[in-house]
Formats: sequence, C-alpha cells, structure tokens
Amino acid sequence: MNTECLIDRLADDVSPVPRHAVGLRLALGVLAGGAITLSLIALGLGFRADLGLAMHGSSFWMKWAYPISLGVGAIAMAARLARPEPVRILAFWPVLIPFVLLTAVTIAEMAHVPPAEWLAMWLGKTWKKCPWLVLMLSTPIFVGLLWSFRRLAPTRLRAAGATAGFAAGAWAATLYCLHCPEVSALFVLSWYTLGILFAAAAGALVGPRLLRW
Amino acid sequence: MQAGEDQLKAWMAQGLDGDAASHTALLRATAPLLRAFYRRRVGDGDTIEDLVQETLIAIHTRRMSYDRDRSFSAWLFAVARYKMIDHFRRTRQTCPIEEIDHLFSDGFEDETNARMDINRLLAALPEKQGQAIRQTRIEGHSIGDAARHAGIGESDVKISVHRGLKALAMRIRGERP
Repeated sequence: MNTECLIDRLADDVSPVPRHAVGLRLALGVLAGGAITLSLIALGLGFRADLGLAMHGSSFWMKWAYPISLGVGAIAMAARLARPEPVRILAFWPVLIPFVLLTAVTIAEMAHVPPAEWLAMWLGKTWKKCPWLVLMLSTPIFVGLLWSFRRLAPTRLRAAGATAGFAAGAWAATLYCLHCPEVSALFVLSWYTLGILFAAAAGALVGPRLLRW
Repeated sequence: MQAGEDQLKAWMAQGLDGDAASHTALLRATAPLLRAFYRRRVGDGDTIEDLVQETLIAIHTRRMSYDRDRSFSAWLFAVARYKMIDHFRRTRQTCPIEEIDHLFSDGFEDETNARMDINRLLAALPEKQGQAIRQTRIEGHSIGDAARHAGIGESDVKISVHRGLKALAMRIRGERP
C-alpha cells in the first residue's frame, strides 16, 4: 500500500487518549486478568473459611500489604518500561522496599518464637504448593498485561516481560491470600516471594517473543 | 516545508485530544523524517518504505505511550530505532546464507586480493606516508584524527598523503620515485 493511503486510513480512527492512559491501560489489564484469577480461586481452591475473622486481625493485613505494595511498585515500573525511553533498571530499587520491611517483621517475629518452632513456621502446611499456585494464578493477569502492552511501546522486551511477570505474580499472590491459611511472616517472605520470582522469571523468558511489535 | 519540534508536538497533543486533522498533519510530516532516518541507516528503497509504514502504524496505534511533557522527536526516533533493530533482528536469520555465498563468489577473492595489494603497496612507502593514507583514505578518519593519532600536525598529514599517493602512482606506472 502507498504511504499516503496508509496515512489516510490511519487518520480515520483518531479517538481521544486520556492523560494517564498508560496507567489506566495497565490497571485495566491487571483488573481483567485478576477477575479471572479470582474466579479460579473461588471455584478451584475456595476462600479460607475464617476469612471474615482473619480480616479483623493484623497478621492478615501484614500479609496482604506485602504483595499489594510489590504489585503497585511493579505496575509503576511497567509504566516506565512501556514508553520507548532510556530507563535505568537500577533506578527501580524502591520496588524492593516491601521486601526489606517484611524481612524486618520476620526477624522480629522469629525473636518471639523459640528456635525449635522456626522450621514449622517456615514451611507451614502448604509450602510445597504455595509458589506453584502463585505462578499458575499469575497467568491470567500476565495475559491481561500482554493485552495492555499491545497499545504501548516497550523497547526493552526482556525487562518489560520480567516486570509484567513480577506484577502478575504480586497481584496473583494478593488474591491467593484470600485462600491461603498461613499466618507467619517468614512463610510469606519465603514462599510468596518465590512464587512471585517464578512469575517474573517466566515473564523474562517469554517477554522478548510475546511483547514484540 | 519541514515542521519543527514545536509544531509536531502541538499536532501530537491535539491528535491525542481526538483532533483527526492534526493527527493527519502529524503523520504526513513525520513520514519524510522517517524516510530520511532510515535512508541513512538501512539499505534498499523497498525496505525503507516498509519501515516507514510500519513505524507510522506504530506511532498511530501506540501513541498512548507518548508522554505529553516530553520531547516528541525523542519519542518518534525511539520508536523508529526500535523498528529498525527489530527489522535487523528479523532479517539476520536469512543473512548468513547470503554471506556464505558472498565468501565463495569471485568478488570476494578480488576484494581480498585488492586488500592485499593495498597492504603491500602501502608497506613499500615510508611509514608516515603509509599510515596517513591508510587512516584518511581507507579507514575514513578525518585529517584531524589522523594527525592526533600520529602526533603530527594536520598539514604534515596532508603533505604525507599527497607525497605518498604520488609515489604510489609512479610506482604503479613503473617509474622510480
């Protein structure tokens, strides 16, 4: 096709773009994928029986704050990588603050518990399946973010893929909290983080292929 | 007339607000800029026009990724550069076979022979003249760069090149310098 015709055809479809379109689009992708993840949890795993009660306790909110804050940071990071600008990856270090804070909470928690119980605290009852469930539940959210990126222009595809996986993992972990009965900070720090890292690694692996444009 | 950054940025902002006329003006004005960008970096004409069109489609469908507070040209050429790298990455898969063909073709031997001839001829010249010719005429450095490299003056480089080329011409014609 001739370039002039192409321009005319493109100009037929000029819809307004809101100012915070990048953030909105990423949020929409996470919400759409999150809705599917949530229904998978509701239908496949079930919410924890004492959810209403647990929400009155502080340990639930501590546990919830961790993946939520990671997820917010990851989306902010994705918004930067969605623009074709030079980005210094090291500038994203604040994303790791929740990890540092939870590590501090974990150390404080362990100080109050006799060392003989540390192993039980660490492994809980579900350590074997927790990271894998987080990885699996992150898939719909990752797909949602791939949809978001279709209108965006990432130029560092591996970093963008890893960040999308990281965000998907963090939000999947957030929703998984509604099912997971574990209470110790050490458990969340170890196995939730591992699941989120799995998701980020998977994103880094497939990013260059799936995010190409 | 070529539109400057301010004009392009204004059209982009209006286009983002939904003004189709500005958006069309923007696409029309960026097409020649992209063509010039790719002409300097990518080989043949068809590829250039393909890349221009692909980039126009990308700046249309992905215009959401432009930040209104930043330079439009920087965004435009970042998209263009990405498209070019993507193009190289895609075509490299078919390239090696052509390069192997190139190795076995007659041209390759001639080229290699020519390079060996040049090396032999330059080696016969005084070192300063040989270096000056190699750097300015073969490797494409500027006179200033060659002078700095050799630690001599620019006029010295020019004279060395001139005398060296003259000596080479005489040698090739079979005369004693």
